[in-house]
This record gives sequence, structure tokens and C-alpha cells, in this order.
Amino acid sequence: MLTKAVILALAFGLMSAAAPATDSILLSTRGQKKPRQKVQREVALYACPMHPDIRSTKRGKCPKCGMTLRLVTIKDPVGAPASAPIATAAKEVDDLSGFSSSRVPDVKVYDQNGNRLNFYTDLVKNKTVAINFIFTTCTTICPPMTATFRRVQQELANAALNVQLISISVDPSTDTPERLRDFAAKFKAGPGWTFVTGDKAEMDSLLRALGAAVADKNDHTPMILVGNDMTGYWTRTYGLSAPTTLVKVITEAVNHR
Amino acid sequence: MSLLQPKIKNGSSLKFRILLKGLGLFVFLTFSVGPGRDTHGTAGAQESPAQRERRGKQIYVQGTAPSGKETLAYLGESSIEVPGSAMPCANCHGLDGQGKPEGGVTPTNITWEALTKPYGVSHANGRQHPPYTERGLELAITRGTDPAGNKLLNVMPRYAMTAEDLGDLIAYLRLLGKYRDPGITENKIVVGTVIPAKGALVDMGQAVKAVTTAFFAELNSQGGVYNRQFEVKYAETAETPSGTQTNVERFIKEQEVFALTGAFIAGSEKEIIPLLAQQEVPLIGPLTLYPQIDFPLNRQVFYLLSGVDCQIQAMIHFAAKKPELRTQHFAIVFPKAEINLRVVEAVKEQSKKDGVSEPQAYDYALGHFNVADTVKQLRYSNSQVVVFLGGTEDALLFMIEADKLRWYPNVLLASTSSGKEIFSAPAGFDGKLFFSFPTSPGDQSTDGLKQFQALAEKYKLPTHHLAAQISAYCAAKILAEALKRAGKDVSREKLIQTLEGFYEYRTGLTPAITYGPNRRVGALGAYVVSVDLKEKQFVPASGWINLN
Repeated sequence: MLTKAVILALAFGLMSAAAPATDSILLSTRGQKKPRQKVQREVALYACPMHPDIRSTKRGKCPKCGMTLRLVTIKDPVGAPASAPIATAAKEVDDLSGFSSSRVPDVKVYDQNGNRLNFYTDLVKNKTVAINFIFTTCTTICPPMTATFRRVQQELANAALNVQLISISVDPSTDTPERLRDFAAKFKAGPGWTFVTGDKAEMDSLLRALGAAVADKNDHTPMILVGNDMTGYWTRTYGLSAPTTLVKVITEAVNHR
Repeated sequence: MSLLQPKIKNGSSLKFRILLKGLGLFVFLTFSVGPGRDTHGTAGAQESPAQRERRGKQIYVQGTAPSGKETLAYLGESSIEVPGSAMPCANCHGLDGQGKPEGGVTPTNITWEALTKPYGVSHANGRQHPPYTERGLELAITRGTDPAGNKLLNVMPRYAMTAEDLGDLIAYLRLLGKYRDPGITENKIVVGTVIPAKGALVDMGQAVKAVTTAFFAELNSQGGVYNRQFEVKYAETAETPSGTQTNVERFIKEQEVFALTGAFIAGSEKEIIPLLAQQEVPLIGPLTLYPQIDFPLNRQVFYLLSGVDCQIQAMIHFAAKKPELRTQHFAIVFPKAEINLRVVEAVKEQSKKDGVSEPQAYDYALGHFNVADTVKQLRYSNSQVVVFLGGTEDALLFMIEADKLRWYPNVLLASTSSGKEIFSAPAGFDGKLFFSFPTSPGDQSTDGLKQFQALAEKYKLPTHHLAAQISAYCAAKILAEALKRAGKDVSREKLIQTLEGFYEYRTGLTPAITYGPNRRVGALGAYVVSVDLKEKQFVPASGWINLN
């Protein structure tokens, strides 16, 4: 798992620096000048948002529902030898094979101001996002995670990077928009940071799709999901890492081609 | 700002920030320890240790200091600054100091015994250190190191506060886990109530006093709760709301009541409720028609039944379900008063939720109801559903005036104007007049009634003001039940959390009681009844309308 994660991070790092995205198949080239070997085969595919099993190497429409296929990136594990070097900087990054924008449901949610939003269309589509999972009555890990997110937001703003921050409640039956607004204000969350709650059933499906569903809210993990919807790049990282580490992971997502 | 920690500007480099921080802490600590500390406080030598501990408790639980001075928390290597209230100690270490594990983080047990074990402390992750001293604890709080100089986990912030506040906090930390809220000892618990003692409501006050005394006397005769006997104390209302506020404030301080039950706060809601929040005294089942349930909630106050706002909301919901009414124009007529504004707001919200037209609002100065004008306007706008918040008298005037024009809209009235006089309304309003009630006789179970009657007989309770008696009785019953559920080791905070877990608790005399983190009205809903003007009686028009 870790090895794969490392390879992935290396591959992305190099690709964003060296290889411009091509439309059909991206083959990460071996870095000739770089001393470290990255060996990750990267395949760009187009998948239907409604029917993830429909995949194509070309742009087009879904034969089942006619929706426009969306770009997703899928790693090809065959290309990854087991003996890849371990880089310390990439430790925090987790593997997210198989996850893609098409897995982000377009459920109806509320933001902290009580506005009704469609999760995918309004918050994720054509954006780079960083998503964490909180609840307002959470006491042990949410405050430090949220404070860290706040710092990340400032540093992203300083770097003029446009990233949508999202905090999703894992306890929607308690977390009303008012409670979220209060919580957001306590941590001085700026514009471009949306706190999300909604009906229990829809939120459950959202959390399941994002891999953050837990039976007991106190078991939720300090995980941050980072994604670039334009390129279909998704990764996961530890929410209690230093802000600089998070900014680095998010920057990689922004610059991903 | 008297903070010794320097403010850190955003632009400075990381290294510089850390340096500054270290320097700040050094200065801070140099001043914070040492014999001269107590002379900082304005109260000086006269203040008791109990006052220090009480102030320390606020810092521990809420992350704010009673001194009004800033408390800040700095998180991680990059020293992210957040207000102390975002990360108070109790968040992670718990009210009892034992620590609340979550998401892979296990906060240390910080009770004084655990920290000062003579042979030191070994943590699960291998960290070891000698026992803490007060000084060591100050270093842990402000600098994030244990007595062996190890760094604490990165989710433990470093705090900046004044030396006096830190002293208060440490005083409380020495007591952590042993501290008891006022009004509770090993074998006694003091509960209080507030009764009207003057004017027209004296009799009601006496009835409430009698039933509350009887309830707890009976409970004591059965052994109390966890071997604690109840002691009931009474405060009286004054002529003015602010007078009542003074009475209650003095009462809470002098009598050291743990919690209040069935207190009469009608008319002084705005004064009493913030006072309870500030003093952190829970109140169950206050007698009022206007529960204060706006966000942010006053966590301490738990109401039994819906107030006027929720009662009318239930009627709007009822009207919206009727095909012949849901497409009509709605209007709301009310005397200008602050309490009515909240009701109007609630009614507008409910109409939006139910998808009916937003009621047009017509207000008038109390005692100057221009009935002819109002009727003319309403008729002109063709309002077929009229919510009327004035009293019975004004409602009758309104209907008589409309009758002159042979105009009979549906009139929705609050239970407060359900006097007998309403049966003299013009016959044309037969079947068009609706009330809502927060409870109905059907809510009274055989067992519930039997218990109450047994108590009434045994303690010779008055036979008047039964509604108020039942309300006070149910409030006391809920308090007793919550104290049982909370366990022997109860605190005010634990009592509140226990009440928030109540789900469909049956008092036997009211609709089932449910509370939650966002819910403070136990029976959130109402029944709608229509008025049969021929037979002069109320006829149920709906079942229980749940507003949750």
C-alpha cells in the first residue's frame, strides 16, 4: 500500500513537471535527469458519471444514458514494480486507486448559510477541492483539523491558488446549517470554504461514496480527500499533518495535468 | 492587551515566529511563577480558593477566562492561532479529566492523582516522565512539554493566557474529577423553583409549590435518588422582570441550587434565561408560553410543551394539508409586542416549509385595534386564512365586524385566547374557527393519572390550577428521571447531556418527551381543534401534529 502510494506521488510529481497531458493515454516517461526512478503507468480514460463501468479512451457520450463522458485517471498497477524507492515527503499521501470524480454523487446538501446545493455540480465540478470530515460536537480531532484547514486556506490564498475547501458533517442530524455557521465562525473560515450538511440518507450516501462513512461518528478518521475534477486526479491525506504538507499535496493536485 | 505572549503577524517567517514564541513564553513563565502571583488579582487576599476554582473551571470547560482577558491556543509546529474557546481543555480531556479517545487520538488522563504518581507516568506510546508538579503542568500547558522535556502530541495546543488565569486553571486542575457543582453532596441535592407570590397568580404559585414539595417528599420517602435526599427551595417573582431577575440571581447564589424545575418565568423569559445560561443552572419545564428556542440555544433550559409559536406553526401545517385552504391567501394579525414578532417569524418560516403563501402581516397598537379598517383591508386582499394573535376580546370584535359584511374567513387562534366567550362568535364562523393546544386529555394515561391522583390525595394538594400543577409535576418527574439516568456521579453538564438523550419519555400526562442537541421543546407539536358554535364545544380536528 505504502509503496504504491509513494510511486503514485512520485509519478504525479514528475508528470506535472515534465509531461503535458495528452488526451488519450498518458504514459509516464522515465525521468532521465532525475536520480529517482518513478515507474508508474498512468492511463487517462473517459467514464460516464452515472455508469462507471462505461469507459472509453476517447471523448464521447455514454451509450446507456447519453451523458458526456468525464475524464478519469486510472493507475495501471502492472507498470509498478514492487521495489520502488521510498520518499519521505510522500509518506502522507494515500493510494486512491479506483476513485474518480464519477464517484462523487450530486446529492442535495445544505451549506452553512442554509443554501441548497448540489454537491458535485456546485462544489466539485471543474474545481480543485480539499475535503475533510467533521462534526460540530466533535471535540478531540475536529478542532485541530479545522484550525489546520484554516491555515491551509490562508497559505493557498497567499500562493494565489484557487481551491475549494469543503468540510462535510458526519453527524448531519445534529449539525444544522446554523451550527455549521457557528463552527465556521469560530475558526474564522473564509469565503471559498463550504461546510456541508443535509438529510441523513443523502449525507450517508455521500459519505459512503467518499469513503468516509463510519457507524459511530466518534470513529471518524482525520482524513482529507484532495481532488482535481478537471484531470480526475484524487488522493487522500492525513488531516493532522502540518499545514505545509497539506498545502504541498493540494498544490500537486492543482498543478496536475 | 495584557497578554505576555506577543501577537504574531502573518507575514513573519516561520523561524522568526518560533523564536518570538519561545521568547514570549520565556517572559511569560518568568512572570507567571513565583510568590508574587496572588497580588495580581484585584480581589487580592480576600478571595476564597473556591472562587479561583470556579474561574479555573470556566477556563477548563469553555476556554475563556472570567477575567475577560484573552486565551489563545497555538497548534502544531506552525503555531496556528485559534481562540481558546475553540479548543478548551475539556474538549479532549473530558469534564472528568479522564480523556476522550477519538479518531486514533487518546488524550492523557490529567486528573491530579494520575499526573503526580510518585513513580512517574508511562504512556502507551512509550513516552515516560517523572511526576508533574504545578510548575511542570504550567510548562505542559504553555510550552507543550512534559516533565522529562518530551514534546506532547501535536494535537495538544500550547496556550497563552495571563498568569492569574493560568493560576486559576491550575487550581481547578488540582481538583479535577473531584469538583462538584454547587447544590450537590454525597447525600443531598438541592432543587429550586420560582413561584409568583403576589397579585392574581398567588393561588397558582401556592398550587405549584404544593405539588413540587409533595413530589420530592414522596421521592425522598422512597430513598431519594442514589441515596441523595432532595431539598426543595423557593424563590419568588417580583413586580418587574428585572426585579425577578435580581431575586433569582440572589436565590441561585445564596441557596446553591443544583437545578431548577417548573419555575414560573412567564413575562421575564428575556431576563431569567440568559441568567441561567450565565450561571449554568439547568431548568426543566419552566411555566411560559414563549419558549426561547432561537439559535444559539440556551443549553440549560428544557421546555415541556410547545409555546404559542409552535402551536400556530402546527395550525399552518394543518391548513396546508387541507386542499381547500392551501391555495388561499394567508394573513396574520397581531398586537405590536416583541413576543409576537418571534411568533410571526415562526409562522412565516412554517408557511415557506409547507409551501403556502407567505402570510401578510397586519399589526396594531395594543388597546387600539381599529377593527373596521383591519377587516376592510383583509377582505380587500381576499385573505381566507387569518391567524389572529390578539386576545379573545379582539378576536370576537374582529369576527363580529366581518359578520356585518357577511365575510367568513377561517380564523386560527392560539390556545391563549380559548376562553368560553369564544362560543359567542357569530354563527357564520361555525366550523371556520380553529385553535391549537400543546396537549390533549388523550395524552393522559391511566397509570399517569393514577400516580398523580395518589400524590394529590396523600399530600392533600389543592384542587385548583390543575394545568399548572400537572406541568410542574411533569417537570419534576423529568428532572428525577434524568438524575437517575445520569448516574451517581452527576454534574450539571452531565444532567444536560442526559436530557439531550431523552427519546419519547412518557410522563403519563403529556405527549411523549424528546430532547436533543438542537431540541429543547419536549413535545414539539400540537393538536388542532375546531369550534362547534351550535353545541358550544371544541371538536378535535387533527391528531398530534409533529413539528420535528
